[in-house]
Amino acid sequence: MKLKTILDKKCEEKILIYAHEETPLIRTIEKLVEEETAELIGYVDREGVVLELMKVSCFIVDNNKVYALIDNKRLVVKYRMYQLLEKLPDNFVKINQSCIANIKNIKSFDTSISGALLVKMKNGYSDYVSRRQLKSVKERLGL
Amino acid sequence: MNSYVKEFLRRGMMFSGFGPIIAGIVYFCISFSIDNFTLTSSEVLIAIMSTYLVAFLQAGASVFNQIDHWPLIKSMFFHFFTIYVAYVDCYLVNSWIPFDPTFILIFTSIFVGIYLLIWFTVYICVKSTSKKLNSKLS
Repeated sequence: MKLKTILDKKCEEKILIYAHEETPLIRTIEKLVEEETAELIGYVDREGVVLELMKVSCFIVDNNKVYALIDNKRLVVKYRMYQLLEKLPDNFVKINQSCIANIKNIKSFDTSISGALLVKMKNGYSDYVSRRQLKSVKERLGL
Repeated sequence: MNSYVKEFLRRGMMFSGFGPIIAGIVYFCISFSIDNFTLTSSEVLIAIMSTYLVAFLQAGASVFNQIDHWPLIKSMFFHFFTIYVAYVDCYLVNSWIPFDPTFILIFTSIFVGIYLLIWFTVYICVKSTSKKLNSKLS
C-alpha cells in the first residue's frame, strides 16, 4: 500500500484510503484517527461518518457487530461495547449485555407482560433492561 | 445454532445444579418430621436427575419471554407449559403426588395459582420501577 502525505493548510484535513479489502492495517489506521480526533465514526457501506452522539439512540450488538442506531439507520462502529462505555459521555448507560442507550433519547420505560422492564427509544427501538444493569440505570437516572 | 437455543442451554446449565441442592434440602427437612425416613438408591438417583432437569428447563424457559418476534401470549404459553410439564412429571416420577387425576388436578390448581401470584408480584414491582424511572425522564 502506498502512502502519500500532502501538507496544505488550505485543504480540509482528511485521510482517504483506497484498498482492495479491509485489512488489519486499515482497522488500525481507523482506530488511530478516531482516538486522535476523540470522535466516534460509524460506517455505512464502508463509508465513515462522524457520529453526532446527541442523535444516537443506542449502540447495539447484532451478529457480533456493534451498531449505532440513529433514527432508522444502522451504522457499524468498530469498537467493542466495553470500549464504547469508556468513551461515551454520562448520558449513555448500558441497559443489557448488548445495548447501551442514550438516556436523552429514551421515550419511556414500560413493563412487558413477562415482567421485564422495557426501554422504548424515541426512534422506535425497544430493548429490555437486564436485572444486572437495573441498579446502574436507576442510579444514572437519580433513583 | 439459533441464539435463543444457545441462551436456553446456557441458562439451563448455569442453574440446573440448584435442583438437586433444593431436593437435598427438602429431603433433609422431611427427615426431621418423619421417623425412620429412608430413601433407596434409585429414589435418590431419580430425585437428583429429575430435579436437575426441572431446574434446567425452568432456567432455560425464561428465554421464551425474550424472543422478540413471538407474540407475548405465545411466549407466556411456552414458558408456563414447559415449567408445568417439567414440574408435574418430576412430582409424578418421584411419587411426590400419586398418579391420580384428582391429585394432578389439585397440583395443577396450586401450580397455576402460584405461577399467577409470582407473575403478578413481579409485574407490580416492575411497573412501579418503570413509573419512577419515567418520572425522572420528564
